[in-house]
Amino acid sequence: MRERKPDRRKRNVLNERGVTRVDWKDTELLRTFISDRGKIRARRVTGLTPQQQKQVAAAIKNAREMALLPYPAARKG
Amino acid sequence: MSRHYEVMVILEPSIDERKVESTLEEFLKVIRTAGGSVDNVDIWGRRRLAYEIKKHSEGIYAVVDITAEADAVKELERQLSLQEFILRTKTVRRETVPHAAKA
Repeated sequence: MRERKPDRRKRNVLNERGVTRVDWKDTELLRTFISDRGKIRARRVTGLTPQQQKQVAAAIKNAREMALLPYPAARKG
Repeated sequence: MSRHYEVMVILEPSIDERKVESTLEEFLKVIRTAGGSVDNVDIWGRRRLAYEIKKHSEGIYAVVDITAEADAVKELERQLSLQEFILRTKTVRRETVPHAAKA
């Protein structure tokens, strides 16, 4: 039987910082949710709740439109 | 019905940063004459763009908080988009008055 380590839960950055509403202008925070390629990190990586993940994704997309964050870089890199 | 809006504007980097406020003020008259109010004007200043817009790699960012009717905001957006020194604008509705959230 595989043993499960006591605390394998991922840290939830939003809860840690006490963010209740994600601001699309907060690029410093949003950058923690994108890969170096510029892609939005999956929920299984970010450890966010579905609601939070949705908010973050929408915020990143808004930020991209205003050139605050990059769009995913093209293949090869 | 009056609502809270947040309008972000990216201006061309060739503009004198000190003139940004007065330039924006000119456009914000639309809001005031329509009975709305401008709650806050935040000039972020020159910032590197994540990608080029109209061959510019930098832009001057400004965020304006407004309380007004939808029509007034729409007209503001239209007038802003007509200016070629304005690279991009984005209007977002806010549920509550900001300020407190701003660090």
